[in-house]
Amino acid sequence: MDALLWYEEGPMGIFIRESLWGYPIVLFCHAVGMATVMGVVVVLNMRVLGFAKELSVPAFARLFNIAWLGFFINLVSGLILFAGSTSSYVFQGTFQLKIGAIVLGGILMKLVMGAVRDNKPVAVQKLLAVVCLLCWIVGVVTGRLMAYLA
Amino acid sequence: MSWEPFAEWLQNTWFHGVMVDIYWMFPLMETLHFLGLIWLFGALLVVDGRILGIAPNLNMKACMKFIPVAIIAFGVNLLTGLAFLHADPFNYLANPGFQWKMGLIAIAGVNALWFWFGEHKELVQLADGQQAPFRAKVIALISLVVWVFVIIIGRLLPYTGGNG
Repeated sequence: MDALLWYEEGPMGIFIRESLWGYPIVLFCHAVGMATVMGVVVVLNMRVLGFAKELSVPAFARLFNIAWLGFFINLVSGLILFAGSTSSYVFQGTFQLKIGAIVLGGILMKLVMGAVRDNKPVAVQKLLAVVCLLCWIVGVVTGRLMAYLA
Repeated sequence: MSWEPFAEWLQNTWFHGVMVDIYWMFPLMETLHFLGLIWLFGALLVVDGRILGIAPNLNMKACMKFIPVAIIAFGVNLLTGLAFLHADPFNYLANPGFQWKMGLIAIAGVNALWFWFGEHKELVQLADGQQAPFRAKVIALISLVVWVFVIIIGRLLPYTGGNG
C-alpha cells in the first residue's frame, strides 16, 4: 500500500491530476496507441483464421514494429494514467481483468506467431488466434468500462 | 445556425429515449465504437502500410480484401456515432471538436474516393515487394494521418464542448 501511495503521490500523479490538459493529452495518446496495437493484433489474427490467405504471415512482421510503437505509447501513457489514482485502480476488478487480459493476449500473440512459424496444425493456430483475439477484445472492453464500473 | 431544428428533432425521437433511459446503452455503444475504431484502423494499417512500404512484401491485391473490412467497421462506427448523437444532440452539434471531427471524416472520405477511382486499378498489379507510385503513397499517408486526428479529436470531445 505504501508503494501504491508513493507512486500516486509522485510527480506523475500530481501532473495528471492537476494539469488542465495533462489528462486529456495522455488519454488521447492512449487511444491512438490502442488503435495501433489492437489494429495490428486484429488483422494478424484474422489472417491466421483464414482471411486474405494470399498474404504471407512473415510479411506482416514489419507491421509488428508499428504495433510495438503503439504498445510503448500505451505502456507509458498507461503508467501515467495509473499514477492518477493508483490506490483505487489496483483494487478495481475491471482494471485487474484488463491487465490480466492484455498480459495473456501478449503471450498468446507470441504463441500464435510461433505456431505459424513452426507449421503447427492449422487447428492449433486457429484456436490460439481465437483465444488471443478474445483476450485483446476483453482488454479493450474492460478498459472502456473501467470508467463505468468503478 | 440552422442545426437547432435538427437537434430538436433528434431529441424527440424514440431512440433518444432509449439512449438516455437505459443506463447501459451509452457504454455499450462506446465499447462498440472502440471495437469499430480498432478494426477500421487495423484494416487501414494493412492497406496504407503496404502502399507506404512499411510492409512491402504483403501482396497488394490481397491487402485490398481489407477494404470491405474497413467499410464495415466504419459502418459500425457511423451507427454507434449516430446513437451518441441521439443521446445528446445539442451538445454534440454545438461542440467545435465534433464539427472538426466530421470535417476530418469528410476529408478521409474524399481521400478514399481518390484512392479507389484514381489508384486502385494500378495498385493491384504491383508485384510483391514492388514500391507503390508516389501519388498512392501521398494518399495512404493522408489517410493514416487524418484517421489518427479523427481518433484524437474523438477522444477529446468531452473536453472541447465547453459544458463538460
